[in-house]
Amino acid sequence: MSMFNYLVRRLGFLLVTLFFVTLITFAVTNVLPGNVALLILGPNASEQSLEALQQQLGLNQPLYVQYLDWLADLLRGELGQSLRFGDPVLGLIAEKLPRSLLLATAATLVAVVLAIPLGIISAVKQNELPDLGASLFGFVGVSIPIFLWGLVFILVFAVWFDLFPTGGYVPPSEDPVATLTHLVLPAASMGFALTAYIMRMTRSSMLEVLSEEYISLARAKGMTERVVVLKHALRNAVIPVITVVAFQFAYAFGGVVVLEEVFFWPGIGRLTLTAIQSRDIPLLQGCIIVVALIYMLSNLAADVLYAYFDPRIRYGGDE
Amino acid sequence: MSGESSDYTDSANRYRPSDAQIERLGRFSRRFRRNTKAMIGLLLVLGLVFVAAFAPLIAPYQIDTTNIEDRSEAPSLEHPFGTDDLGRDVFSRVVMGSRISLYVGFGSIVGALFVGTVVGLVAGYYGGMVDEVLMRLMDAAMSFPPILLALTVMVVLGPNLNNVVLALAFVYTPYIARVGRSATLSERNEAYVESAVSRGETDSQIIFSEVLPNTMAPLLVQASLNIAFAILSEASLSFLGLGAQPPTPSWGLMINSGRGFMESAPWMILAPGIAIAITVIGFNLLGDGLRDVLDPKVDAIE
Repeated sequence: MSMFNYLVRRLGFLLVTLFFVTLITFAVTNVLPGNVALLILGPNASEQSLEALQQQLGLNQPLYVQYLDWLADLLRGELGQSLRFGDPVLGLIAEKLPRSLLLATAATLVAVVLAIPLGIISAVKQNELPDLGASLFGFVGVSIPIFLWGLVFILVFAVWFDLFPTGGYVPPSEDPVATLTHLVLPAASMGFALTAYIMRMTRSSMLEVLSEEYISLARAKGMTERVVVLKHALRNAVIPVITVVAFQFAYAFGGVVVLEEVFFWPGIGRLTLTAIQSRDIPLLQGCIIVVALIYMLSNLAADVLYAYFDPRIRYGGDE
Repeated sequence: MSGESSDYTDSANRYRPSDAQIERLGRFSRRFRRNTKAMIGLLLVLGLVFVAAFAPLIAPYQIDTTNIEDRSEAPSLEHPFGTDDLGRDVFSRVVMGSRISLYVGFGSIVGALFVGTVVGLVAGYYGGMVDEVLMRLMDAAMSFPPILLALTVMVVLGPNLNNVVLALAFVYTPYIARVGRSATLSERNEAYVESAVSRGETDSQIIFSEVLPNTMAPLLVQASLNIAFAILSEASLSFLGLGAQPPTPSWGLMINSGRGFMESAPWMILAPGIAIAITVIGFNLLGDGLRDVLDPKVDAIE
């Protein structure tokens, strides 16, 4: 199967899955306790005005009609008005989303910077002390919840040593340096959780490459171990690592709900929590769909990269 | 010769494990004991189960006895992990909290195993449209970040501990289903399935008495890894206030309430935090070790 056909097929799958995603989102948010009309008008609304608003919002229609209307709006990019803020949902999301993407990107970066050197060292010193130490570090990284890493970092680096702010966000247009100092702790706490997988992949990929013939050849030619490892081996070993990095970005983005709450980072994660707390159904629907879409797209990117670098799996037929 | 005695030997034969099975079990236990990861994981998990089983005997104080005079006390001989903002003994609460984590971990995975195995085996066995529809549904559920899906389900069900179990069972079902399906796919064309078909066994007999036992190994590995994730997720949900509710001694909830006292009483978040870490490390090691031990590729080499 050619790369192009593979892409078309995967995009087709994505559309089908996306349809199910809208179905699940609609189903879940529609069984939420609380009447939307009552939420908008408040508890003192008269029967008549409630009835009128329900009519206007189409809440008297059968559910499948409501779903189809909602889906049609969604396809036009019309996500409705937030009940809590009174603003269009799309605008709210457009304002918060880049901040969450920044956070997830920074976290992935921290993980890559930690994981690739550690993975290389583990492979070179296979089964020796540095290898065990690195894998222990990775294990502890994934086993501690992100919010706990966050709180411990706040305790140590913000409360005890006062090196970084305890939380919050400053837009880069105001003060880019402050943006960065506010980014360090949340990115580090998420980055620690992502390190293990990237490190493990780097290690096994390096081990595989290091056992190949051209490496022995390079060594036989009298090249230093440093050049062999960092120049010849790493170049080939890094390819499978790229796909893991894409998966980890998806994971990081999926985790922003918790991370943003710890650091008071005003992104789409906290927006989702606000929507939940205030029973803001249009906002919640919008947030869920957008987060799921980005999560799906980054996973798709990882799959496609994987297929691109390793054509064997494209012929596998089954996912 | 009486029919009875032949029946007797027949049934005796049927319920005696075959030599091959005994040998496989022996090989499994040898390899398991030689695997450091699996053994450390097993010890940690067994230790945790022990603490949870005897929690009321281990905990020196009642977990809901508040004492305003002793609040936010630093760790001491009297209170090894200090006291919280209401003067409750943190050590006792952490010990009792082990029951919550294990309940959520095992409860949600049993639920996910139950539904996920049925979905995966049915999809893998029948293939075609059944497979297509079931697996696209599973894909859709996996298109949500797990914690977001769990949150959304919790909003619908309402925050309490039993609903956390339900929500996490829902979240982890597709992961089990996927593993069950791919294991079934590789079993479907085996000779024993064909002979069961020719014996006239029904589909459900074939799926659950013939195929299921052969897919147990990968399902168990996936389940033990998912327990670790489920315990992490419960902690996250409770931390966000959408899981267990006060005064439940859930570790995530304890961390949530300790957040405001980070400076004056850091033990309020550190003690339950270390408990979560040890628990999750235990299940992760066990799952990882089990995977090494049960991996058929390693089997071929030995």
